[in-house]
Amino acid sequence: MIEVRDLWKSFGDNHVLKGITLTIPEGQTYVVLGGSGSGKTVLMKHVIGLLKPDRGSVHVGGREISALHGKALTEARQLFGMVFQGAALFDSMTVYENVAFPLTEKRRGERVHPDEVRRRVIEKLRVVDLGEEVLPRWPSELSGGMRKRVALARALVSDPQVVLYDEPTTGLDPITTDYVDGMILNAKRALGITSMVISHDIASAFKVADRLAVLYDGHLAAEGTPAEVRESKDPYVQRFLSMWFEKQASEDRSA
Amino acid sequence: MERLKAALEDFGRMLLFAVEMVAWIFRPPFRPELVLAQMAFIGVGSAFIVGVTGTFSGMVFALQMNFAMKQFAAEGYVGGSVAFSLARELSPVFTALMVTGRAGSAIATELGTMRVTEQLDAMESMAVNPIQYLVVPRVIASLLMFPVLTMLFNALGYAGGFVMGVYVARIPIGPYLAHTQEFMNVSDILHGLLKAVVFGLIVSVITTWRGYAATGGAKGVGEGTTRGVVASSIFILLADYAITFVSVGT
Repeated sequence: MIEVRDLWKSFGDNHVLKGITLTIPEGQTYVVLGGSGSGKTVLMKHVIGLLKPDRGSVHVGGREISALHGKALTEARQLFGMVFQGAALFDSMTVYENVAFPLTEKRRGERVHPDEVRRRVIEKLRVVDLGEEVLPRWPSELSGGMRKRVALARALVSDPQVVLYDEPTTGLDPITTDYVDGMILNAKRALGITSMVISHDIASAFKVADRLAVLYDGHLAAEGTPAEVRESKDPYVQRFLSMWFEKQASEDRSA
Repeated sequence: MERLKAALEDFGRMLLFAVEMVAWIFRPPFRPELVLAQMAFIGVGSAFIVGVTGTFSGMVFALQMNFAMKQFAAEGYVGGSVAFSLARELSPVFTALMVTGRAGSAIATELGTMRVTEQLDAMESMAVNPIQYLVVPRVIASLLMFPVLTMLFNALGYAGGFVMGVYVARIPIGPYLAHTQEFMNVSDILHGLLKAVVFGLIVSVITTWRGYAATGGAKGVGEGTTRGVVASSIFILLADYAITFVSVGT
């Protein structure tokens, strides 16, 4: 579904991506793990065409996203839904207007009937466990977890083939984190969509991933199934994962 | 030298942004409801402050002119001077500066906040171009409303001057109106309105750009807004000089 080939990107002297190659099969959840400033978000923005590579290419569903411009790129973006780190809900719009936005704006030419828009908004809010009572509320009135859920409903409303999650669990408490993980798994199971998650939350990553990669210094330090990555001999990967595994082991012992 | 280079680069990027914005004006889908909402915000919302500024400017200017003209026993010319100065200079420039402070700063802050909270990226990821959705309506609304607000300034400024001149300074109403007609041409009004359109373009492009290009959180948004308001004000004055110089000469 998604193929990234030899992707290079620099901002001035800051070389962020140095030859990334990865493949995300259809219907799978792929997690890119990495520390702060490792270039995870930059990688994701290339996948959706918000950034252009210096070298290399990104193919999604057989189309080379990295070579598209203007109208063709706009059309290609209809394949995607994206959940941003801070939810990125439009704060001048209500929850209903936010979730309906991709339908009322993107498909202006097709003129989706208002009743149909409302039906789909409610249906997608149900997928993320929210009822109709949130429709007239403003983003500023919602908790962090609810904003994430509304953001996912907005990402799902136009029935995308791929959903991208930018740090979905950052800044959330453990219970909400668990809930968001469940939401990602549920979206995959219920709708069969391909997902790409970028995160530094190791626990969540191992929970939701079919495959995962560890990004370090612009390279993929490890790539494979969660079990393969766990066995990686790369020193950075070992260090990155060991802290979490040690913490988990001590929690198991004390339990 | 480095700062000059950075400023020139930034100016170049703003020009490219303006060119892209112009291209988006003519591409469907068109969103008249967003233009109307911005006309309400920029135009109707600024009417009070522009009206107050216009009224007081006209009043003060009439009193000052009366004071000066009295030396030559030429008080009758006060009405004409007020109308002429308002139409060609005071109305377009003061209106633009007031709207920059009220609406321009709000535009830069709103777009800047949307940029740093990834709302612009979110919009783009949903296949909606933020320049078309957010910038174009603000620019069109400015181009339409700056002249309207300038006319409001003209009307209330002249009315304020009239009250001061005729009822406070006791200038006879006959010569006051006659000299206004003698001094003024439609071209004077049009000259001011042309300036208003140019100022509308300057303010809307600069302030939307400063929001669109904001970086680095709340501080960056604040800096962007300040730079947007300062740059708009300076370019209004430069453009005012340039248009006046070209049309009047030395």
